[in-house]
Amino acid sequence: MSMRWYVVRRVLWAVVATYLILSVTWGLLALTPNPAAEQLQFRAAASGGSAEAAREAFEARRGLDRPLWDRYSDYMVNMVTLNWGWSDSRSQPVMEAIAGAIPYTAVYSVPTTILSVLLGLSIGLYSATHQYTRTDYAATFFAFFGYAIPNFWFAIVLLLVFSVQLGWFPVVFDPDVPLVGFAMAHQLVLPVVVLVTGTIAGVMRYSRAEALEYVQAEFVKTAKAKGAGEFRILTRHVLRPAAVPLMTILIGDILGIFLAASYLVEVVFGIPGLGQLSYNAILAQDTALVLGTTLIFTFVAVIGNLIQDIAYTILDPRIDYGDR
Amino acid sequence: MADEPLLSVRNLETKFHTDEGVVRAVDGVSFDVRRGETVCLVGESGSGKTVTGESLTRLVRSPPGEVAGGEIYFDGRDVLDMSDAELRDLRGGRVGHIFQNPQGALNPVYPVGWQIVEAIRLHEEVPKAEARARAVDLLNRVGIPEATRRFDDYPHEFSGGMKQRVAIAMALATNPALLVADEPTTALDVTIQNQILRLLEELQEEFDMSVLLITHDLGVVAEVADRVVVVYAGKVMERGDVFDVFENPSHPYTRALLRCLPGRGGRLDGIDGRLPSATDPPPGCRFHPRCDHAVDACRTGGQPPLYALSDDHDVSCVHYGPDGDPEVVRGDESAGSAVGPGDGGHVGDDAHVGDGGHDPDGESGDGGNEP
Repeated sequence: MSMRWYVVRRVLWAVVATYLILSVTWGLLALTPNPAAEQLQFRAAASGGSAEAAREAFEARRGLDRPLWDRYSDYMVNMVTLNWGWSDSRSQPVMEAIAGAIPYTAVYSVPTTILSVLLGLSIGLYSATHQYTRTDYAATFFAFFGYAIPNFWFAIVLLLVFSVQLGWFPVVFDPDVPLVGFAMAHQLVLPVVVLVTGTIAGVMRYSRAEALEYVQAEFVKTAKAKGAGEFRILTRHVLRPAAVPLMTILIGDILGIFLAASYLVEVVFGIPGLGQLSYNAILAQDTALVLGTTLIFTFVAVIGNLIQDIAYTILDPRIDYGDR
Repeated sequence: MADEPLLSVRNLETKFHTDEGVVRAVDGVSFDVRRGETVCLVGESGSGKTVTGESLTRLVRSPPGEVAGGEIYFDGRDVLDMSDAELRDLRGGRVGHIFQNPQGALNPVYPVGWQIVEAIRLHEEVPKAEARARAVDLLNRVGIPEATRRFDDYPHEFSGGMKQRVAIAMALATNPALLVADEPTTALDVTIQNQILRLLEELQEEFDMSVLLITHDLGVVAEVADRVVVVYAGKVMERGDVFDVFENPSHPYTRALLRCLPGRGGRLDGIDGRLPSATDPPPGCRFHPRCDHAVDACRTGGQPPLYALSDDHDVSCVHYGPDGDPEVVRGDESAGSAVGPGDGGHVGDDAHVGDGGHDPDGESGDGGNEP
């Protein structure tokens, strides 16, 4: 089938995109002065030695004196074999640091994604079918509130009120409790609330707008005239066609907000996930670790886009694969 | 034909609450549809005929719409009194609907067969395979070639006329007693229009249905109608047997409409003026601002009552009332017998109006906006 061919080509394109990202990153790194080398040169000069000799020694140790092509192919091989280098600040392989952080990011981002999609879609659909009623206005207010309020500020306010004043939730995140369990769920309530208020707004407004386009569609009237009930009309005849444009918006939207927000939320709540890892790596000028965490986010985006494009072709029968 | 009509509409009022005020789209419309007959609801755009059709099974979106008054009896039961569950049984189960625009009437993300199966299984508990077989039968019946193969095709793979056939198959899926067809041919080109009309006529006989056909096209009326209801600005102007109305058109509006038909020996011009404001209709007869025969009595009070001209022919015009003189209207040039639906012949067989006389753009006057 032509759709299978389309999917194959789309996956190949994702691979090419990843390759380009890796190459450009390498190019930028090759051009950038290395902070560790600069430090060594500074120290050598300060103690009366030759800065030039210190730089050459450093480059020889790191293999930076080899031809560009060798360095590039080494880099690529290391990337593909998941040998992403050594984190100076953490004294462990980058891959190990990342692997240790991912579960902490997943443990709050999975429930956040599920909650914001479920709640956002249902509130959005409700708003669309009850357009310009009081509940619609209330939902709109809530959406704009969540959209407008800065995540980090909201997180601090929640911490102050519910953890410090009321003592309902722990102030400091404890990474030692089991990943799946009540204690973990309990200490993730506030971070999830903060992230959901941020992401739900977009989901809600987009699904309201898309659903509104279909609530008044002729084919919805046809479905009603066939005797379909409200719920069936909403799910089968409004949500299903609306899912096509929603899919493109939602994946990008959730990815974006989630990647940016995870930095702030992890730092404020002290969750040792990818965001915090990346944040600390930047502060420590740990180039290998910054590169590793950034690439993880980039790959998540590439895969998100891939899923989005494939979902699009599955959801919309009108798409013609012929000339793509 | 049983004595009691299948559908009986009395003083139906449907309003829309808009920012500009309350639009009285349907304002006291009464008519009957008997078993097995075809009734045509005729009027220009914005006259309230579509809203009337959608009010019958309360399809009008609410808010902003509201069936505000009157009675709708279907098979002896008051539709306005029905619960949501009863209404769902009525829609699709007993009353099928076909809408004007076949391009939009089918859901683009489901195969056409799925949509017909849905119509069947919403009302009858039949296994999927049986529903599928019935859907294929229906597609065959409405003239979709290679129905089995096309069952899983999506709406965008069908032409407009074919989509309308699918929509008809869907409306007939549960063998309804009444089919409400709202301008089913308006969005189609002329050759396809005739095919669809003929198909509807055949199916009506085969399924033993009543049909309420909503149209602005008097050519279509002449071809298929048993009885006619002429509406204007939410009011019934004239109603009756199709022969009576065509041979003896009595309301000045009906006469003006007939004069607009091409190839009927009349002036080929529209009706001067436009539909009155739907939020603030004029007092008296709704048509008086555009009527050549308006007198003072037309300009005050409400719409004149429907005066009986014969057993099955009523007209809402003061000139036919106790103090009026029908000759004021009938004496005027010509729209009289010259526009009969075929002199003494059967309308369906001898449809001069239909022969090449179809006016795809047969809307008279400027028309308003359909609310």
